[in-house]
Amino acid sequence: MRLSFYQRHADKIRIFLFILIMFAITSPIILSYAWLILRSFSVDMNGFIPTKLTIKNWRFLWSEIKGYPNIWKTTFNTAFVAVMVMLLEMIMTSMGGYALSRFDFPGRTSMMKFILVLHAFPSVSLMVAIYYVLKYLNMLDNLWGIILLKAALETPWATWVMKGFYDGIPWEMEWAGLVDGYSRFQVWRKIILPLVKPGVAVTAVFAFLSGWSEFIFINTFIFSQEFWTLSKYVKATIGDFRFADYGLLSAVGVFYALPTIILFFFVSKYMIKLTIGGVKG
Amino acid sequence: MPSIRVVNLKKYFGKVKAVDGISFEVKDGEFVALLGPSGCGKTTTLLMLAGIYKPTGGEIWFDDQLMNDVPPKFREIGMVFQNYALYPHMTIYENIAFPLRAKKMEEGEIKKRVYDVAKKLMIEKLLDRKPGQISGGQQQRVALARALIKQPKVLLFDEPLSNLDAKLRMMMRAEIKKLQEDLGITSVYVTHDQAEAMTMASRIVVFNKGKIMQYGTPDEVYRNPKNLFVATFIGNPAMNLIRNLSYIRKDGRAFLISKSLHLELPEDVAKKIEEAKKQEGLVLGFRPEDAEIVHEESGLGFWAYVYVLEPLGRDLIINLKVSETDELIKVFAESGVVVDKDEKVFVKLRPEGIHVFDSETEELIV
Repeated sequence: MRLSFYQRHADKIRIFLFILIMFAITSPIILSYAWLILRSFSVDMNGFIPTKLTIKNWRFLWSEIKGYPNIWKTTFNTAFVAVMVMLLEMIMTSMGGYALSRFDFPGRTSMMKFILVLHAFPSVSLMVAIYYVLKYLNMLDNLWGIILLKAALETPWATWVMKGFYDGIPWEMEWAGLVDGYSRFQVWRKIILPLVKPGVAVTAVFAFLSGWSEFIFINTFIFSQEFWTLSKYVKATIGDFRFADYGLLSAVGVFYALPTIILFFFVSKYMIKLTIGGVKG
Repeated sequence: MPSIRVVNLKKYFGKVKAVDGISFEVKDGEFVALLGPSGCGKTTTLLMLAGIYKPTGGEIWFDDQLMNDVPPKFREIGMVFQNYALYPHMTIYENIAFPLRAKKMEEGEIKKRVYDVAKKLMIEKLLDRKPGQISGGQQQRVALARALIKQPKVLLFDEPLSNLDAKLRMMMRAEIKKLQEDLGITSVYVTHDQAEAMTMASRIVVFNKGKIMQYGTPDEVYRNPKNLFVATFIGNPAMNLIRNLSYIRKDGRAFLISKSLHLELPEDVAKKIEEAKKQEGLVLGFRPEDAEIVHEESGLGFWAYVYVLEPLGRDLIINLKVSETDELIKVFAESGVVVDKDEKVFVKLRPEGIHVFDSETEELIV
């Protein structure tokens, strides 16, 4: 029997073509990151080729730059917002998701429908209303204002996701805990919560990232440099009243993305195993 | 060990009446099975005994204590679930020790008790593993150990064997029965498998559609079913039924007749039918072992033709039909019996094996 070259290597050729196509699709993202990293270490660029290498663009790490706040203070602010949003969301969604999944209270179904509708509204459209609320609460130009705002806007959706994880835990598990001599709250803490850990992890990662990358609210409701976060810092390098410093912009951009990338490497293995809404085993 | 008394117990989920006014009693140390098809309310009843569901109405008594509002943790019960409900994130040791930790027991005592019960159930080698790493049969034993460790006063089983393969199920059936007898713990056992209920329980509550159909010993529910449901649900193969029969008396002799069947009745059976004042819509029932296949007419019985044969090794099930339109009748015969397909034979009934039901009320008349 004679087979053609294609027939003999069909699988390999198919995989090769597949990779080629995937690369073509993802290349705009990959290339722009590559450009960003190269640019941050060069004086100027000739297309994709750095003309001369330098680390001067990274000077913001060890010296104050005129017109910008201290980078470490800014990084701390960013982390503070991200971690607080994450903690608030973890606490609220792990309890709220359980309630939505397990308790049959009046208005439960309409509440779940409402959450979906609510999520469809772009938060930008709430900007003016939020301004008045924050002003009334005396939380303008205050990181706590941003934190509460982010947590409030994201909790409903994340609660919905957590509900899916709780739905996957059989009732018998809970009943067994009650029969074994524990209260409902103890059963939740000792048995059910450990079983939805993957859900809590997913919620936490998403909450952290959304806090870390928040820009619009920071840009709108934060005025003092001492409360800047990295997104605002990057925005400033593009400049309203100064010339854009592309070297600085690239370096700060890379610095800003670094924690996200590191975090991704830590949790990617864990996240890929999950399908939102269910636990295996 | 307490006795359990359930009085007019009800549980409604919205409009669905899952349990609709049932009453029964479990004596101190007794093993009672709740038997019925799926969705009949037996598990709901068990969950009310456990305190997980709150009754809509009625009372649950453990001895002279009303239990309706007592939370599960104060009921001193052990429970085994169909899917075992082992905690997947804990080791087997931690799973078994979990009920004792709720009591804030001292670590040394916990260890001693866990090893004792693990030894009794032959799972002491598995204590370091996680539930996902052991077989279904072993998980079953762990679930049993977890239920037994706190020395409960009442044991509740929710179809504990239905996830096991047939061979293992037979083995665990005997083991659970022995364990219950040795410990003398009052036990309620939910199952849809009539063989399990018959072999293990000292009394059986037969459920259907949220109501109790019959409560009695395995022998009673088998020999004297109170209604058509129990008659057909218990026994394998089920009781044979011939429907749409009329009662007549001719020349002083009593008969059940239909278009294709003509059966003379013993006098005592006939009297009872007359007392019930029913003439039409009668159902004749008899168990496969209460009939015999013979080649000539003798005693009580009727003619039928052989439909198909089912050899079982030790026995033979002969499937018969009275006429083309009637239901199948199954009769046990010894494997030596020779009959041909389509052969006309006489089905001879044992007089004490004859049951007559009223098809309207489904209740037993004789």
